[in-house]
Amino acid sequence: MPQFSLYDEEFHPSPWQRTWLSFKSSHIAMVGLAMLGLFVIFSVFAPILTPYTAIEQNIDGLLLPPSWLPNGSISHIFGTDALGRDLFTLIIYGCRITLGSAFVTVVLAMLVGVSIGTIAGMLRGLRSSIVNHLLDALMAIPTLLIAIIIVAILGTGLVNSMWAITLALIPQFVHHTRSFVRAEMKKEYIVASKLDGANKWQLFFHSILPNMIEMLVVQGTLALSIAVIDISALGFLNLGAQASQPELGVILADGLDVAYLAPWNVAVPGMAIFLLVLSINIVGDGLRSALRKRVSH
Amino acid sequence: MIQILIRYSTLLFLTLLVLAFMSFSLAYLFPGDPLENLTGLVPQNEMQREALTRQFKLDGPYLIQFFHYVENMLAGNWGYSFTSGLPLREEVGIALPATIELATYAMLMALFIGIPLGYYAGMRCYSTSDHVINSTSITTYSFPVFWFALLLILIFSLQLDSAPLSGRISLLYDIEPITGFIIVDILLSELANKPLALKDAFSHLALPTLAIGAITTASMIRITRRSVIDVKHRPYIAAAVSRGLSSWQIFFRHILRNALLPILPLMAIQITTLITNAMIVETLFSWPGIGNWLIQAIYQRDYPALRVGMMAVSTVVITLTILVDLFNRLIDPSREKYERATV
Repeated sequence: MPQFSLYDEEFHPSPWQRTWLSFKSSHIAMVGLAMLGLFVIFSVFAPILTPYTAIEQNIDGLLLPPSWLPNGSISHIFGTDALGRDLFTLIIYGCRITLGSAFVTVVLAMLVGVSIGTIAGMLRGLRSSIVNHLLDALMAIPTLLIAIIIVAILGTGLVNSMWAITLALIPQFVHHTRSFVRAEMKKEYIVASKLDGANKWQLFFHSILPNMIEMLVVQGTLALSIAVIDISALGFLNLGAQASQPELGVILADGLDVAYLAPWNVAVPGMAIFLLVLSINIVGDGLRSALRKRVSH
Repeated sequence: MIQILIRYSTLLFLTLLVLAFMSFSLAYLFPGDPLENLTGLVPQNEMQREALTRQFKLDGPYLIQFFHYVENMLAGNWGYSFTSGLPLREEVGIALPATIELATYAMLMALFIGIPLGYYAGMRCYSTSDHVINSTSITTYSFPVFWFALLLILIFSLQLDSAPLSGRISLLYDIEPITGFIIVDILLSELANKPLALKDAFSHLALPTLAIGAITTASMIRITRRSVIDVKHRPYIAAAVSRGLSSWQIFFRHILRNALLPILPLMAIQITTLITNAMIVETLFSWPGIGNWLIQAIYQRDYPALRVGMMAVSTVVITLTILVDLFNRLIDPSREKYERATV
């Protein structure tokens, strides 16, 4: 029996595994992922993790300082706000609302944006020119303006502000999908599929979409950080979530009233938004450079 | 060249027409009476209402109403504000330049700090200084603009007392608004103590500009750095290296201009973010700009003001975006070929 020296243990990582390996090699990206994971765990398991409920008021302890100050107590880690609500609980529920609504917004915007972008990318001739340019130009309207108009028509509320942000996020998905689809349509494997008789629908679902997912994930993280900032900005301006909903921007706006007496009411929610956005950005950046490394090697 | 110009002016015209239609339909979409939303005038009795309806051709079909609306907008009859009762054209004429001024300085800050730093980081990519610049820019980029502005107010206005809290200029100086840009107005005015007034205006400008500019600068650094790194990996740079050019020669002859090309279209996208940030920061600093004005209008449900404000802001943003796009296409022939091939 001939002896082959086969190396059985040879490891062929799949594209996703390779991305993960190069993502893992960056320490900063891993720290960002851990932070983001913490935020996600906090927001998913908010009712279990919090010592109080979001609306529970401690009348005896208004504006208690956070636990690291001399007068603070460990029963309220981040202190309490002007209504005696536990700030730690509020922040966790705030992450839940802000991150959750941002996620829903991004998924919606992605669905719509990818559909429009694909149609625009596959169109030819004058129609494509009109669709592309007009869409490009119209989508340049600032987020805040769209939000103001929607609030004026439908009234304030978290859901209405989510509509506004969805509308504002769609163009970047349209833009990237369109240029991606255009570039892919010229490649050989698409021509091969076309020669096999694939119609446009099949081309998109079997050939283009699988290649597009990575781009969509990266764009999604970018959009998520924008959505978090925008939702909290609208909450802060009193155009989004209302005071009864503990949204991070709303908590910050509430804290602004007592900024002199209790500066932690401004510092802690702001820090929470900042860290949330920072972790999303770091993960997005790590993901992007991991994908880039994989493609270039 | 002429073909491109014609195409872009058609695009601009069509987009503005769509915008005008959106602004017109807002009068019907907003709660309340379309007549009041459209004119800002509240008729006292039925006779006055009929007269106004006839005057604004609201009894005709929608298309005629729309044409009349566009005619009125072009003639400068933009209606009246519910809250102040003043003609909206005057109010927008004062508020819009204030915002544009703020955004311009922030953009200049981003251009003069962001692009050189981005080049530096890109040329020294993956070194310590690059990592420092890159992480600083990611951190700054992650700041929510309203919180950043609040921190600036807390530190510089309240703790250090080195910058004023709100407004454009101290009330001591009576500046006649001619252009709407405060610095230009001061220079044009016949004030006895111009240098003092200028100093005061700059100290009012510093914090809002810093708040908006820092975030724009951070994204500019990231865009530039990426673009420089991409250009550095092109074959023509390898060819230049193998020809024995020094790194300075390569930088000035090949990298500097080629890296700028992808930055321009991204700058057009930045304009939208910049204006949004400017509008948010204005409310915090009580800057008398269009953002503050619009937010006050929405708090008081001043529908004619919202309709006109929407039209004004989006016209400015879209015109700027299309102009940057046009400029980009004029200086970048490769893009033009690509567009021609597909259109």
